[in-house]
Amino acid sequence: MDRDALARPVTVAIIDDHPVAIEGVRSWIDRDPRQRATLIASGPSVQAVLAGPGRDADVLVLDLELGDEMIIDQVGELCGSGYRVVVYSNHDEREIVLAVIDAGARYVAKHESGDHCMSVILAAAADEPYVTPTEAGALLADDRPQRPHLSEQERTALLLWFQSMSKASVASRMGISEATVKQYIGRVRVKYTKIGRPVPTKTALLARAIEDGLLRADEVGDYRSRAV
Amino acid sequence: MSADAAVTVAQRYARGAVVAAVVIAACWHLGFDLPSLVSQWTVYRWPVLAAVAWTVYTVIGLVGAMMLLRGPGSAALARVLAVCTLLVAIAVLVSTPGAATHSPANWATGSVGWLLVLTLWRCRPRELLATQAVNALLMLAAMAAESALDRMSFARYLMVIFGAVTLQLGYSISTHSFDAAARWAAANSAARASAMALQAATEAAALTRAERYRAVRRDSVAVLSDLADGADPADSAVRRSASASAARLRRLMAETDDVPAPLLHEMRACADIAERRGALVSLSVIGVLPVPPVAVRRALTDPAVEALSGARTAARLTVVGTDCSVIVSVVADSPDVVAASSHPDVLFTTHREGGRLWIETRWHGR
Repeated sequence: MDRDALARPVTVAIIDDHPVAIEGVRSWIDRDPRQRATLIASGPSVQAVLAGPGRDADVLVLDLELGDEMIIDQVGELCGSGYRVVVYSNHDEREIVLAVIDAGARYVAKHESGDHCMSVILAAAADEPYVTPTEAGALLADDRPQRPHLSEQERTALLLWFQSMSKASVASRMGISEATVKQYIGRVRVKYTKIGRPVPTKTALLARAIEDGLLRADEVGDYRSRAV
Repeated sequence: MSADAAVTVAQRYARGAVVAAVVIAACWHLGFDLPSLVSQWTVYRWPVLAAVAWTVYTVIGLVGAMMLLRGPGSAALARVLAVCTLLVAIAVLVSTPGAATHSPANWATGSVGWLLVLTLWRCRPRELLATQAVNALLMLAAMAAESALDRMSFARYLMVIFGAVTLQLGYSISTHSFDAAARWAAANSAARASAMALQAATEAAALTRAERYRAVRRDSVAVLSDLADGADPADSAVRRSASASAARLRRLMAETDDVPAPLLHEMRACADIAERRGALVSLSVIGVLPVPPVAVRRALTDPAVEALSGARTAARLTVVGTDCSVIVSVVADSPDVVAASSHPDVLFTTHREGGRLWIETRWHGR
């Protein structure tokens, strides 16, 4: 998404088989005093939503379990097709959250607050390297060989963000500015974005990171995972 | 001595007695029966029958020995072998002329008893007595058939029979008695070992119970005494200490539950108390939680209990685990906690920011 486009509200489509979840997200979106987002479509299945105006939404909010089926495989396909996907789920097991991140999507747990849900929708639309507290937990617990190397400060920021869910608290605890906290956490997202299969959302995120000075252009592609 | 060791000793003892019986029978058969057979060859009516009887005796001995040494064996096979043994005695008696019944030519009457001891090792004693009696009567019958029941012959008969039977029965009865004694000792020793284990377990359980009781007293007596002295239950400080005490009691009960992740189980018990008071508690756990000792778990959860007990509306409880470390954290709208690390290996930090209290405990296992 072009940055200027943010002048208009972010368009959101929700795919969830529980009407109450759709209504919940809708009310969070509507309650935003700055009206930064608008819900344009919702439905119980991916096909139903993408067949209508939902296919043009800036962000797809996707429940992982539709009916009795886990649709984690479709997250990668949707990201590959250029959709910005925010997975909104009850399944917050580390493996699932890491799989969502690897696919190039965002993860927000259903037990997280409306603020986090809104933040991640807006961050996804703007290709910002945002990390939800649940994602932070999963990244901290990542023990796969291909995981990127995180600095001590980055790990501390992730841990404190996971514990407190408030960047102001993390900043106060670490004795640094909130902007620096965002930078540490954003860098972790960038490191994870560089591994795995490249998809448009990841490329867009890296481009945005370069633009924001979080990453140098020559750092893209020179990443070596710990396993190498 | 453990129960298993005692049983092994008893089994080895029983096996030793069987081996000894086999060795005696074999020595007797090779050292007395064979020379008698060879030296009296010309005396026999049918020497080949006597030789066949000797061979059958050998076969019965081998089969019987294998049966005893290889396992429990079967009573039916044992009885068949005993009957065959008596047939050996008959064959030798028939081959031996009447005048030679008391000579070494009739080696079988004195010798088959050892085979009976062996084959009927695991049968009832009266079966051995009965077959021994049949064996004795066989020789008496042979003597009667040859009309050789004069006083001298009868006296020699009695000497042969008593000489053999007392040795054989004596051996069988004494070894079986020792065997029974060894089994009794083994059972006794096993019972003692089990009683000692039970006693140790009971003592350990009593110690743990006493320790838990002391912990309950430490926690609850102060709160109860304050209430008894007229502390106002409406006072927030009193309510908070009562709530913390209740959480610790819940934790104490949770400590004895047999669960795969005791730390988490105990944390849930603490969180439950805060939730019952109306605070919204969210619990997030990541990583693999190790199982630290109870003292460490208490030190890890104590400050969390305090912070949760003070939570007015909401608290976030997180537990981050790796193979050998745990980080417990509570962020809540609580007043400051009066807590300190109660274990040298547990690091406690606290941080206040406006209305929010943030406490963290860390443990690194060694």
